[in-house]
Amino acid sequence: MTPTPLRAHALGDSAVTIVFGDERSAQLLRRVHSAARSLEAAKIPHVEDVVPAYLALTVFYDPLHASYEEISATLMAACDRATHSSAKAAQSREHRIPVRYNGMDLEAVATSTGLSVEDVIARHSGRTYTVDLLGFVPGFAYLSELDASLQLPRRAQPRPRIAAGSVAIAAAQTAVYPLDTPGGWHIIGSTQTVMFDPTRDAPALLAPGDTVRFERVA
Amino acid sequence: MITITRAPPYLTVQNGGRKHSRSFGVPRGGAMDLFAIRAINAIVGNSLDAAALEWALGGGAVRFDRDCLFAIGGATARATLSGKIVAPCTTTHAQAGEEFTVEQITSGRFLYLACDGGIDVPVLLGSRSTYLPGRFGGYEGRMLRSGDSVALGARPATHPAEGFHSAADLMPRYDSEIVHVTAGTQEDLFDESAWRTLTESDYRISTASDRTGYKLEGPALGNSLRTLPSEAGCPGAIQIPGDGLPIALMADAPTVGGYAKIAVVSEADLPILAQRRPGGSIRFQLITIEQSQRALKRRQSDIHTISQLASRSSAD
Repeated sequence: MTPTPLRAHALGDSAVTIVFGDERSAQLLRRVHSAARSLEAAKIPHVEDVVPAYLALTVFYDPLHASYEEISATLMAACDRATHSSAKAAQSREHRIPVRYNGMDLEAVATSTGLSVEDVIARHSGRTYTVDLLGFVPGFAYLSELDASLQLPRRAQPRPRIAAGSVAIAAAQTAVYPLDTPGGWHIIGSTQTVMFDPTRDAPALLAPGDTVRFERVA
Repeated sequence: MITITRAPPYLTVQNGGRKHSRSFGVPRGGAMDLFAIRAINAIVGNSLDAAALEWALGGGAVRFDRDCLFAIGGATARATLSGKIVAPCTTTHAQAGEEFTVEQITSGRFLYLACDGGIDVPVLLGSRSTYLPGRFGGYEGRMLRSGDSVALGARPATHPAEGFHSAADLMPRYDSEIVHVTAGTQEDLFDESAWRTLTESDYRISTASDRTGYKLEGPALGNSLRTLPSEAGCPGAIQIPGDGLPIALMADAPTVGGYAKIAVVSEADLPILAQRRPGGSIRFQLITIEQSQRALKRRQSDIHTISQLASRSSAD
């Protein structure tokens, strides 16, 4: 299948969003992630940040030194090259995150899914997840794809404060809360792993395209 | 050092924000009114990205613990130094031990106080800005409270003359009713009538407005949009949630979101929106990205003009 042609759109004065397609898919996400990594590696002048997402990536740049027209042409060409070269494998990393399955919603998740607590734990820790997207708060990684039997809508009432390190699920995704924040996901466990630390060179542990396995600890 | 003797309801350390950490989910953050903070840094002879105090929601007082050339700008305030009126956008010399007081912010929302040498807090992810939701940056990742002291950087060898004033026509027209916008990344999802509503109606700033976003009140934009797959947003992006009422994302907005973005406030005009209080109204006017980037360059050149005039004022 021929990929849809890329489209560029200005996001205000300092950013351009490059759209890769209109339907979410694992394949499209890989294209976006790999293009984002090549753009990062290319160190294009006046580019500040590259933020990949499900259908598009957004490049932030300095508009005092590059106009929208100039930078969007440069970026479109670079994305085109990135998608047509199969040579460079994206250098994603594999992570293992130890989890104590002691979350306050664990029993409720078992009840709602009709599984035993043991089954919930086994199905959550029994597969490899991919980082789809970073956002919501610093270091928050949306991980796919949760076992179909564990997929529940978000809680109707979000909680005002979820502790950093909480391991949670919602819909087809799972995540670790990197900071104390409000949140509407179901908390099934906790980890000591530091997901975000602003004093580190790479402050977020996970990057788009990385893979994660959760390991049960007592 | 500056010591907070009577903290206002909101006081943080800010500068230009974080421009290289969005991919980690860290918003740009920084000053809500990037023009004002740069302009007053220029007035006192600092680098434009020096850290300053961002002050809002009411009066308070701080003490200068060393001699200092300072200026205030952004919001308009009734302010004094040891009882004498402090003029806006004007350098004032404070002696060690003198107290600067804001009685009241009379118009606008965010007042900036810059001192020569800048506020010296640790640089985290390339910036001294406070990011309150993440509890990092600035002074211990939090608002300043009474009794806190923040360090100042070394005084520069030369500095602008005392009483140097920046002309009002180099500042944004904060009273402008018009806020310019460019078309957003989901402009095509909105029909002509939605666009007419957005650009021909007055929108009021809701009380639900803070550093993360300003909810706007006015005619709802007819749309039947579901949430879209998340993608990056930016300060100034106007997103339309299910109720059809626009939300303008501001400095601390999350890096990604799933609401359709109909438009983005021109960066040259974002200070005008940022300084508008709850109850105040604005009207959006669509311009092209070329016009918007030109307007931003004019703002930047106005700041350079202020810098040059300030440095020439130096009597030495």
